Amino acid sequence: MNDDAFLSITDLSVGYGATRVLEHLRLTIGRGEFVALLGASGCGKTTLLRAIAGFVAPSAGAIAVAGRDVTRLPPDRRGMALVFQSYALWPHMSVAKNIGYGLKLKGLPRTAIDRRVGEIEALLGLSGLGARKPGALSGGQRQRVALGRALAVDPQILLLDEPLSNLDARIRLKVRHEIRALQQRLGITAVHVTHDREEAMAMADRVVVMEAGRIAQAGTPEEIYNRPASAFVAAFMGAENMLALNGTVAGDKIHIAAGPHHGAAAVPRDGRVLASGALEARFRAEAVQLETLDAPRATEGLALSGHVEAVSYLGGAWRHSVRIGQTPVFADAEHALAPRTAVRLTIPAEKLFLFDTPSPSGAAAPATDTHPTATRASRPDRVREPVIS
Amino acid sequence: MPLPLLGLLLVLPALAVIVLLFVVPLAASVVGAFVVADGFGLGNFVKTFALYTPDIVFTVLIVSLSTALIGAFAIAIGGYLTLGENPRAVAILRWLYRWPMFIPFIVVGQVLRTFLARNGLMNNVLIGAGLITPLDATSFLDWRGIVIAFVWKQTPFVALLVAGAMASVDRGTLEAARNLGASRARILIEILVPQVATTLMVSLVLSFVTMMSVLSVPLMINAQSPTMITADIAFRINAYGDYGVANALGLVSLAISACAAIVYLRHSVRERA
Repeated sequence: MNDDAFLSITDLSVGYGATRVLEHLRLTIGRGEFVALLGASGCGKTTLLRAIAGFVAPSAGAIAVAGRDVTRLPPDRRGMALVFQSYALWPHMSVAKNIGYGLKLKGLPRTAIDRRVGEIEALLGLSGLGARKPGALSGGQRQRVALGRALAVDPQILLLDEPLSNLDARIRLKVRHEIRALQQRLGITAVHVTHDREEAMAMADRVVVMEAGRIAQAGTPEEIYNRPASAFVAAFMGAENMLALNGTVAGDKIHIAAGPHHGAAAVPRDGRVLASGALEARFRAEAVQLETLDAPRATEGLALSGHVEAVSYLGGAWRHSVRIGQTPVFADAEHALAPRTAVRLTIPAEKLFLFDTPSPSGAAAPATDTHPTATRASRPDRVREPVIS
Repeated sequence: MPLPLLGLLLVLPALAVIVLLFVVPLAASVVGAFVVADGFGLGNFVKTFALYTPDIVFTVLIVSLSTALIGAFAIAIGGYLTLGENPRAVAILRWLYRWPMFIPFIVVGQVLRTFLARNGLMNNVLIGAGLITPLDATSFLDWRGIVIAFVWKQTPFVALLVAGAMASVDRGTLEAARNLGASRARILIEILVPQVATTLMVSLVLSFVTMMSVLSVPLMINAQSPTMITADIAFRINAYGDYGVANALGLVSLAISACAAIVYLRHSVRERA
């Protein structure tokens, strides 16, 4: 997909004062590709976008567009247009003036500007609003004016800095499909910054998950979602449930040793690079088959036993908080099970993500001698801090 | 006691202060402008315009020119503080530009008197630097001296308000313009200044009214004719005890100030439309 490396970022480092925000970052983006930079606040995704746009000077590394080095060029000479999180519309100018300003700066004649502004307004469904000031528009309309202002100058690369975060939830779902459709229609290369994993997956060809100034994983939405490269990526992509296991890697199989609250299981290695010993297992609440302990076992996989502590309806499924030994995990089921019910959780092999437990086993690792299956769960409402190895 | 009465009682002290210290003297001055020897009439105004029309025109021109220059300098200072890319220069300017605000008008007049005189510091420096010969040295203690004093004293005040307003402008709006290729001058004029236009207008109107009422600067720098209305008012009272003409002159300067306020109001109404 990105063989031609239209936008290439090589060994990019950016720091503010003594703090390093980006560290030797490498990324290539193909022509016409839609890439989402996904990460929690402070991971450096906006800094990366601003460095690409030319608003942040890198301390090392290079940025090239179609083989041309743009690292030291001012923002307007890079063939890129940035859509700001706050939209940054000029409140004293009408919609038409906002959209046409870039063309005016290029010295185009007035008739050409008017024609292009008309095209952009029609493209974005803003026809008839040209004379309004931004203050008289709704959030969604402002967002489209900001997009129109960026597209009017016909940039090679469109940079989007959390452009949907100021919209309310329902409009956001609509606008993200609109932006994606527009990007495909225009065939423009786009880099989109977001902290919303669903938004990143819905919009992008490729998702780049960032963690503490580095790329944790880059791949298609399916790859990121189904084959997370690290515990951090797994947690960020929703696999918040965490268990500590012991396993032995043998050939194409990983044999998980039985513990007081789970049975033994063998899962395919599937190309994973793992060492035998303490493993960190992660899985999503919706990946679990939840049934009462006395029901016949329907699915293959790792079976855990515990009891229901609480249950709530999320719409579509009931979310159960289940205690496995000392560890609470979340598990979804179509039917609600009453609190204190003894249950079995079965996690199919392909939905069980396994990683080496980071060493040294200080505060981060559970004490395995007293409770072999003692686990540490992370709270789903909070992004887990990256484990430092 | 019924609640409305209690409320009235509570605002009464403030109201009394305004009425006694502001409304009554203003009314007395306005009425006084129309008092002539045999009752009421326009005699004071006839005399005012006959004697002081050049001074009224002079005052309007001086204060208008000063206001325009103050606006230009304040935009330049605020613009550099907001858009300047050399952090050290910005820090120095930020520290420096406010000082004249804390110096009273009379001290400004005194300082500029010694600085701008024919054998003052400015000419001595220029002669010493070989830029002009002693024969070319002229005194700036005329209309130019008043304008320099006003601009020097009032620019920091306007710059302070304008720079504050500029600092609160969404920086994204500046970066968006830069992203599309606008130069810093264009960003200043087309993006930044329009967003702080209201603050700029308000502070310029306030400056205009302040300059209309300064007595010390024209007395110290420009003790010749034509001079400013304030000097004429002082002269009418001190030399002749002529409160009638003094009040008429005061009313004229009030009318000029009101014109500035009306210009501002019309502008802000159009902005909102």
